[in-house]
Amino acid sequence: MDSEIRKIALENKDKADFYKAQAFFLEKNWDSTLVYSMKYLAHAGHQELADYCHYFRAFSFKNKKLLQQARKEFLQISKNFRFYYKVRLYLGEIALEESNSELAIHYFKEIENLPETGNYDFKRGVVYHNLGVCYLHQKKYDQADAYFSKGAEVMQAEKDTISLIGSYMNIANLYYEQYKDNIAIPYFEKAYSLSKKIKNVELKQNAALNMAVVAENNKKFPLALTYRKEYESWRDSLNDQNKVWAIAELEKKFTVKQKEKEIGILEAENKLKIAERNGFFYSSLLLLVLFGTGIYFYRQKIKSNRIILSQKNKLDELNAAKDQLFSIVSHDLRSSVNALKTSNSKLAESLECKNFEALDKQLQSNSAIAHSSYNLLDNLLHWALLQTKQLYFHKESVHLFSVVQQMEFNYKPLMQEKNISFENSVPKALFAYADLSSLKIILRNLIDNAIKFSRENGKITIHGSSSEDFCTLTVEDSGQGMSKEIVSQLLDESALVSKKENPEKSGTGLGMQLCLSMAQKNEGKLLIESEENKGTKISIQLLKANKNE
Amino acid sequence: MSKVSVLIIEDTPAESEALVKVLTQNNYAIAGVATTFSEALALFYKNTVDIVIIDVFLNGIPEGITFAETINITPDISRPFVFLTSSNDRQIFERAKLTKPFSFLLKPFNELEILYAIEMAVEKFYEQSNVFLSDDLDTVLSTDSLFIKKKNSLKKVLIDDIVYIEVEERYCNIITEHEKFVIMISLTKISELLEKNKFVKTHRNYIVNANKIEEIVLHDNLVILKGNHKVTLSEKHKDFIKKLNILK
Repeated sequence: MDSEIRKIALENKDKADFYKAQAFFLEKNWDSTLVYSMKYLAHAGHQELADYCHYFRAFSFKNKKLLQQARKEFLQISKNFRFYYKVRLYLGEIALEESNSELAIHYFKEIENLPETGNYDFKRGVVYHNLGVCYLHQKKYDQADAYFSKGAEVMQAEKDTISLIGSYMNIANLYYEQYKDNIAIPYFEKAYSLSKKIKNVELKQNAALNMAVVAENNKKFPLALTYRKEYESWRDSLNDQNKVWAIAELEKKFTVKQKEKEIGILEAENKLKIAERNGFFYSSLLLLVLFGTGIYFYRQKIKSNRIILSQKNKLDELNAAKDQLFSIVSHDLRSSVNALKTSNSKLAESLECKNFEALDKQLQSNSAIAHSSYNLLDNLLHWALLQTKQLYFHKESVHLFSVVQQMEFNYKPLMQEKNISFENSVPKALFAYADLSSLKIILRNLIDNAIKFSRENGKITIHGSSSEDFCTLTVEDSGQGMSKEIVSQLLDESALVSKKENPEKSGTGLGMQLCLSMAQKNEGKLLIESEENKGTKISIQLLKANKNE
Repeated sequence: MSKVSVLIIEDTPAESEALVKVLTQNNYAIAGVATTFSEALALFYKNTVDIVIIDVFLNGIPEGITFAETINITPDISRPFVFLTSSNDRQIFERAKLTKPFSFLLKPFNELEILYAIEMAVEKFYEQSNVFLSDDLDTVLSTDSLFIKKKNSLKKVLIDDIVYIEVEERYCNIITEHEKFVIMISLTKISELLEKNKFVKTHRNYIVNANKIEEIVLHDNLVILKGNHKVTLSEKHKDFIKKLNILK
């Protein structure tokens, strides 16, 4: 049967639980068998395998002397099971063990009735023997006798010595109980002699004991004594064996303890290792974070350094521009004051000579020089205020026409001198939202430039126009105009033009810079359109005033 | 129609002289020139002052602002004013800015600029913007007078002096006991005048100063006013007589 189970297991290797159950079954590890067969049963649908499992379980229970459970499991096995006869056999054995001899007989009879020729994996002798035992229990000595002898025959034929000894002893007991000592004693002796050939101590002991009892009963005390002694010796050996077992058990326990200790040590080591590993992990993490922050700050530092460097460069540039401006401005001032000085001495001269015609001209030129110097200084002041953010700035609704008118008023004498005609064609309904003072500065500069670059009998017009959000003032002159390069230079914030192509007239560009900055501050724009020898148009775009304000 | 009187608070004689010259040339009356805060206050209370021109710095301290603050506290005596300043000092300006309505003029300035600044101050003070600059308006209304722009200057008419007003579309003829002149004023302001109970409407085109009524001739539909001015009384507007009775 074992080979059959192995075969089936190999066929069903993929069913892990079943495979394990059978493996443990064959190893006679009953508990594990129970566990895995249960697992398999919990979800198995295969009838044959399920039968096997029930069989494993029943067999395991039987071996663990849990007869009730075993019987239950056996009864669950279907009749189609290959080894169904074995099931009946074991059920019989269970019944026998439970002293239900009638049921046992019923089962055993079934087995007995199986045809002799079939390939059955069981010992027929044992069955006969068991039947005998059953009848013995029922005190049906005749039947018992018949079965015992039948069994003994079979066993003899199969050379199953151990069973045979048991059988003989049972037969002997059978006769002995019927007080047929003559028949019983030879059986006892047979059993005793057979027992000498085998190693089963228990059987030897029983055989010896039986002989001793028989001898005693026959009043053959010396013989009984020897049997007794033999019995004792066997029992002692059995005890020794038990002691050896106990020692082995102890050793086993000891080794188990040893192992447990080792396991404990290993566990502790493991814990230590884990702790070490964790420590290493955390410290490396910390290092990584530190490294990351280090890199971050380093990069931050590099970045700020770069910014500082660029700022420094820009500052240097600005400083250089300022220095340049400073020198140009001081040079301009010096020359104009110098001109005033010489002009004044001339004035005094002509006054002495009473040359009144020249006097008037000289006075006019003096005032022109003073005017331009004043404008330069005024621009310088406002530029400084703007740069240091000290300029007062207050936006309000501004009437463009009157502002233009007011600014024009200052330049009337200058324009008359050059015979320039001026036209203020700003619509009267135009209101800008701007800071009045800065708008005045812008206009002053633009008009001043327009006059400066206009020829005699030129024309200056100021137009006004408006779109949805903006209004635009355009100062147009018919003067000498500028090349595109100069225009772009003028509009470049960082470059202060210091071209002295026309030393008398072209300035520092400071005025233009001021206009640009002021326009920007007013959220406006400054646009230049110019053509050489035709004239210049400069437009200021400003926010339109909200009429509701 | 009388001149607008201006109080000048300025410590630099050269500048105040220039101012006086410009203002008198443009038909303004000078109520006085003060050089200190206390002097200014004295002059302000002594004379009739319509507009004050204030230099922010008097003898190096921003007393001008103090003066503006002082007259601003009491609403009845408060007047329009213009700050004059030569520096663009920011902090001082932040303080000056608090004296609303705030208008200022940066030194140096030309004739047009000061005149414009005065007009702006009046407009801002009486909260009637874009009057003097527009083509179809020229009069700002204050509690007791009208400020009328004539050429470059402002003129003042006391409301109590007005006998009646003749409304003609965009224009109004103002008739006082001795003068007659045309102003341009918005209709809303005319109705404001009416609301003050001093004036009554006797006709679609006539608004009459109730205090100047001498006689009402009902059968001729005429109202006779001081200075022997006669104004038509229309049926529709006869109701005002009842009001007069109540007043009497």
